[in-house]
Amino acid sequence: MDGTNDVLRLLLSTLTQLVQGFGYTLAIFGLTLIFSIPLGLLICKGRMSKIPVISLACRLYISVLRGTPLMLQLLLVYFGPYYVFRVSLGNDYRFIATIIAFSLNYAAYFAEIFRGGIQSMSKGQYEAATVLGFSKSQTYFKIILPQVVKRVLPSVSNEIITLVKDTSLAQVLSVAEMFTKASAAASKQVSVMPFIVAGLFYYAMNLLIEFILNRVEKSMSYYS
Amino acid sequence: MSDANNDIVLEIKDVHKSFDKLEVLKGISMDVKRGEVVAVIGPSGGGKSTLLRCATTLEKVDNGKIVIGGDVLCDGGKYCDKATEKEIRSKFGLVFQNFNLFPHFSVRRNVTEALIHVHKKSKDEANIICDELLLKMDLVEKADAYPCNLSGGQQQRVSIARALATNPEIIFFDEPTSALDPELTKGVLTVIKELAREKMTMVIVTHEMAFARDVADRIVFMDGGVIVEEGPAYELVTNPQQERTKAFLAGY
Ligand SMILES: Nc1ncnc2c1ncn2[C@@H]1O[C@H](COP(=O)(O)OP(=O)(O)OP(=O)(O)O)[C@@H](O)[C@H]1O
Ligand SMILES: [Mg+2]
Repeated sequence: MDGTNDVLRLLLSTLTQLVQGFGYTLAIFGLTLIFSIPLGLLICKGRMSKIPVISLACRLYISVLRGTPLMLQLLLVYFGPYYVFRVSLGNDYRFIATIIAFSLNYAAYFAEIFRGGIQSMSKGQYEAATVLGFSKSQTYFKIILPQVVKRVLPSVSNEIITLVKDTSLAQVLSVAEMFTKASAAASKQVSVMPFIVAGLFYYAMNLLIEFILNRVEKSMSYYS
Repeated sequence: MSDANNDIVLEIKDVHKSFDKLEVLKGISMDVKRGEVVAVIGPSGGGKSTLLRCATTLEKVDNGKIVIGGDVLCDGGKYCDKATEKEIRSKFGLVFQNFNLFPHFSVRRNVTEALIHVHKKSKDEANIICDELLLKMDLVEKADAYPCNLSGGQQQRVSIARALATNPEIIFFDEPTSALDPELTKGVLTVIKELAREKMTMVIVTHEMAFARDVADRIVFMDGGVIVEEGPAYELVTNPQQERTKAFLAGY
């Protein structure tokens, strides 16, 4: 009797801790998407720019951010200001640094996905819009972008699902997100149970995301 | 402007165009009068598409003059300002070989989008124009369909409706039936014939010799970036004067 009670109590306290951490996980996830998608679009524009300096700079940016570990980027963004400028940015900066590093990193991936989508559009779409008198911005927002969204959705979905799992990397900056909490609970309890529960949380979140993305994809399948 | 000029919808004068070192148009001149149907024929690579693309602002000429509906697009290779260019774009329509319909828009939206957002017509006005055109194109029941669910012939008729919607003074066609299976070309050609009967001013690049002969008032034969021969359609096809024209027509 006492034994089952202990297990239940342990499970409950683990759950409470993970739920507390899950708030941070959601925040990292949401804020990263909000910042990295527009930034990715901007970098994609720059990458396709006719001005060599801009295009080259964006290429370098994409290459470096995709070519180095996200964990390393997290550490650099967090410790960089201290080692370079000798400024201490306080405890809140852990979370801010996490959002900055994630957004910069994911923007690089999104930029390349968007570029693929935009470049897959046929010249004929632009030309048809031009001769009909559409302005450049009308052409972009009415004709090109909606079609690009449909084309890039599968790749963007991939990144979104990866991001859910990548949020656990914030552990290196001791941000109190779910994985940090799970690790702490696991070592305290000397048990893998917290990791398993955390795994279920991540999986449930991705199931929900998959469901939503499938719905979105379906809503755009009225044309091909 | 003199009255005589008012009857000329398209004026092309000594147009030159090169891609890098390759001179594709070597001094092309032609006038198209209001209500006239001109067919442009000639072997592949002769510059027919390039000429059409220059006239429709999709390519820039290096030298020469283009006037559409009284507005000067370029003169001596110098181009007009943006406002004039926009004005000119409302005066012509272009039908592409491969349609270039907007796949994410329904047939109705393909036809009405420019009316509403470029020509600032109300939705109701645009829909009335659209319904009329779809009736003419024999596409009434397809108004809510998407291009991907239409046959090539139907798609091309939608693109003709789209080009006609803004009531242009002249329509350019670049091989409107070349991307179609033979059995689908008929519907498209019938529609163009009907437009010719209504005195729509048209310039049609085509490889359909019988069609050019029967529908066009005038045929222009282009080869190697120059106009080799031009004349009344029937005469040019049945009794060409130039050797190159004869050789080309012998292939049909
Ligand atoms: N954007 C371009 N860049 C370089 N060369 C081009 C370009 N467009 C056309 N050309 C060249 O210009 C020449 C004329 O091409 P154009 O498409 O005008 O011929 P056409 O008479 O329409 O031929 P077809 O009957 O095959 O359609 C060709 O040699 C072609 O390779
Ligand atoms: Mg051509």
